[in-house]
Amino acid sequence: MKKENRSQEVTEDQELVEMGKFYFVNGKYDEAVEEFKKALKVNPGSPEIFYNLGLVYESRNKPEEAIKMYKKALAIDPKYKLAKQHYEKLIGL
Amino acid sequence: MSKRQFLIIGLGTFGINLARYLSEKNAEVTAIDRDEQRTQEASSFLQNVITGDATDEKMLRSIGLSDIDVAVVSLSKNLESSILITLLLRELGAKKIIVKSINQMHARIATRVGADRVIYPEVEMAKKLAESLVSPNILEEIELSPDYNLVEIVVPKKFWNKTLRQANIRGVYNLNVIAIKRKVPILNDAGESDIKEEINIAPLAEDEFAEGDIIVVIGKEPDIEKLNTD
Repeated sequence: MKKENRSQEVTEDQELVEMGKFYFVNGKYDEAVEEFKKALKVNPGSPEIFYNLGLVYESRNKPEEAIKMYKKALAIDPKYKLAKQHYEKLIGL
Repeated sequence: MSKRQFLIIGLGTFGINLARYLSEKNAEVTAIDRDEQRTQEASSFLQNVITGDATDEKMLRSIGLSDIDVAVVSLSKNLESSILITLLLRELGAKKIIVKSINQMHARIATRVGADRVIYPEVEMAKKLAESLVSPNILEEIELSPDYNLVEIVVPKKFWNKTLRQANIRGVYNLNVIAIKRKVPILNDAGESDIKEEINIAPLAEDEFAEGDIIVVIGKEPDIEKLNTD
């Protein structure tokens, strides 16, 4: 029973991430952030969600918030290539 | 077209990084330092690295300065050697000499003995940092003349979703918008989200500003300041 619940949660967080990405590529940044934050509540350990939040902040020229998000993504997955590229660019490496 | 040739004297942090970036840009670089450890490090990406004392006139002559387009003296501590090398480079016919200054007195002397340009990276960086801390919306500033600057600035909120015509930046602030930079969200082939930076050079009156845009403007500093603080 427990296993079934877990698989439902994974699906839910993926759906929220996809929704957030949809809003993001359509330039609806507030909605994208909302979806990613909802996804984080379901799966707080997902580097992908932090990375996507970082992208939204970076697109809106909020580099400090973006750096925080990329750092969180990298703390969970130090090999996250895209997060690393964006993080290093923002901190001037 | 033949490659531009550079001579870098002094392989401290500044010199070695300068050498690395120049070689990455396909320039031909010769580097000199007295310290063998530093020259060994530079040998990993440069072909012409000399371990030796650049105050030695014979050694400098042997390099063939007539082929060098720009010589950079980047000694970080030894003021006397830096001045002597600058003088020798000038006497031996170096085309252009750039000296990394150690302090203000050094900058004045280096100019007197033949430096074409004196740079002071720490002071320049401190100035840039101070400007970016005081005006975080101004991302880059280039002085075009004592009166006019070229500036990259985050587009103010009041201009979001307005056209250039509606914003009337030229009329109100006496500034010319020469480009709009935008980070455009994309999905890559793997379905991952990413950002692509697009630049709209010479934007038209009907082009619209969006949240997050960076505008490149030319104008006088007080006008730029007014735009930034209004």
